[in-house]
Amino acid sequence: MAELVIDPITRIGGIAALRIVAEEATPPEACLSAFGYRGFEQIALGAHLDNLLPVVSRICGLDSLFHQLCAAMAVEKALGVEAPSRLRLLRELALHAQLFERHAVSLSVHSLPDLLFPSSDPSLRNLVSIYSVDEEVVRRLLGLKSLGSMVLQEVGGNSVHPVNFRTGGAARDVPGEKRDALRSKLEEARPLLVETSRLIKLLLRRNEEMASRIGNVPAPSLALRGPGQVTMTGERAAVVGPQGDGEQDLSPHDLLGRLRESNSAYSHVRNVSVEGYGETRVGPLSRININGHYGTSLADGELEEVKSQWGFPIHACLVGHVLRILEMVHAWEKMHELLKEPDEGEISLEVKPAAGKGAAVLEAPEGMLIYEVELTGEGLVKDLNLVTPLQFNQRVLETSLAKIAEEVGIEGEPKIMDMLQMAIRAYAPCIPCGLH
Amino acid sequence: MQIALVSLSSCLGCQAVFLGMEEYLYAIIGENRISFAPFIMDNREVAPVDLALVEGTVRHAGHFMRAREVREKAERVVALGTCACFGGVQGLADRFAEDTMLRRRFGDAAWEGAPAGVKRLLPLDSFIKVDYFLPGCPPTQDLLRKFLEAALAGAQPQREETTVCAECRVVSPGIPQPGPRRTTEAPPERGKCLMEAGYACMGPLTRDGCGALCPTLMGLPCRGCRGPSDRALLDPHVDMREETVRRLARATDSKAGEVESAVNDPVHAFYMFCLAEPALRRRRPEGSSPFVQRLGER
Repeated sequence: MAELVIDPITRIGGIAALRIVAEEATPPEACLSAFGYRGFEQIALGAHLDNLLPVVSRICGLDSLFHQLCAAMAVEKALGVEAPSRLRLLRELALHAQLFERHAVSLSVHSLPDLLFPSSDPSLRNLVSIYSVDEEVVRRLLGLKSLGSMVLQEVGGNSVHPVNFRTGGAARDVPGEKRDALRSKLEEARPLLVETSRLIKLLLRRNEEMASRIGNVPAPSLALRGPGQVTMTGERAAVVGPQGDGEQDLSPHDLLGRLRESNSAYSHVRNVSVEGYGETRVGPLSRININGHYGTSLADGELEEVKSQWGFPIHACLVGHVLRILEMVHAWEKMHELLKEPDEGEISLEVKPAAGKGAAVLEAPEGMLIYEVELTGEGLVKDLNLVTPLQFNQRVLETSLAKIAEEVGIEGEPKIMDMLQMAIRAYAPCIPCGLH
Repeated sequence: MQIALVSLSSCLGCQAVFLGMEEYLYAIIGENRISFAPFIMDNREVAPVDLALVEGTVRHAGHFMRAREVREKAERVVALGTCACFGGVQGLADRFAEDTMLRRRFGDAAWEGAPAGVKRLLPLDSFIKVDYFLPGCPPTQDLLRKFLEAALAGAQPQREETTVCAECRVVSPGIPQPGPRRTTEAPPERGKCLMEAGYACMGPLTRDGCGALCPTLMGLPCRGCRGPSDRALLDPHVDMREETVRRLARATDSKAGEVESAVNDPVHAFYMFCLAEPALRRRRPEGSSPFVQRLGER
């Protein structure tokens, strides 16, 4: 029996370890383990709906707004109230800003060093080494992160754990002069974004052999379905087989009925699969495999190039890096568009506590996020269930890792640790979300 | 001066602030001062450093071993963020016993190689000696930058000692006001004191340093994310709930019992960020519990 352990996996969000066991005559098995269940579903019990958002926000600092707004939308469903249209617009704007920021961190801090220096010593593959060689690249990438933070700061009131939003409302709108200032900042960053997108595409082309080989595992895709384009919020989810076959549209209610949660023997992250489809992938690859287009001109223009190079549907996990930068381009275009809208209309409604049950689904940066909330008549949380992207992706990721181990072998191959960690980073797993 | 950036059980929000410091961050990485930061670099063992920033909570033996390793290797240890300083929102899980919580989530599951869980959720200084505390959920970029500037120059970082109210720029709406109220039911009026307007604002008991962002700029009640102020920590007669109820009763001209039944989620409303803090938990009217010894540090 051969065994390979990577503990901890570096340059990812959170603490996790990988163990690969290869018994003779059987394919290797990959176990991604993370311990330290944080109990947020139980922490939230008894919280008044007014205090729920700041609590769930602390599940993940990089996805905080997605948790807040998914909880808010589930509570609104439970109470049977509908958020005013201006509020929905502000929320969408803030979500795009956080997705932009999150992808910029994932690309610059976690993944880019592997693509830039694939053959260097791992200890040199990081932001600090890149900075010593080329300051400009780091400044550009973290500059993009700062751009997302800046929009989020204005719209959310804070860039980490935003405070502006509550169930059924927001404390303030973004005034006209601020919107104009943000738009001109976005415009200033246009060349930076276009260049960065070129850089990531170029790097992936340079590493084409590796990108098409590492973790290229066909899997069913699950994502929210927009009107012919990618969406972050919505009432329709879709699941499709690995080759775009057996497609099914599901309401959030139907989707919840088809989810199967199971314990893992080596991790506190519970696995979730979709009945009839098994282990299912969520995230940037699935969003595009389901929807086909982003729905904005710049991003779609670049997407055609990606599709012609990598084929469609896309299953090569490293192509996820390119899709992340395309999602950033898309978010940039959406932020531009949404900031043009005048600040007209109500941003808050009065929410009276009442008993009820509701669920909401959002596309978080790394995939589908689901909240189910039950409230008491006094507006206290009676039950909370949430499903985070890593819970879907864990099994698909492990299958990808096992495939790498099988093809390359875990003994005597110096690059195996690198290859495995590159595949993990391509999924940008969020361990704090998984351990909620 | 070399630094380490260490995560225990956390949301990574403090790391996001670190990465958002722009020019100051470039100065740090340009001078090659980061020796250990698994979030950013490929390293697995803590290198000897002058300053270790530790964020998050010790939740199991793995975190404890890491914390101990950091203590051995670092000249000075900083509890970064409210989780490390006071337990934070994650500390609310201390309401439940570890095995009960696991059973509710996982049923009878058993794991291979799972590290043993801690009996209680406690701030970092309950496990290792901590030299400095920088609370905030997360601390603002300004706070973190000023802290690092001082600490890396070998100076004593500034420690905020008063309350959010000391920084807050609002006026009294005149009392009595209706309430207690919730922001979801009646959106607050910006520029007016939230506490006097009948909202459970934790400003009077929360450490300053954030610039009173929520009450002053957003018109929202303070939730207490910077953790308890010095007075709230050190005065044995101050209890977060009692104090807030008393103030709200005065603002809304109601009886304490009426306020208590209106604010029906006391754990979340009054102790959202500090339930795991032993100084508040051990509080007895006769006072003088061990937290007093930590005055100089905190």
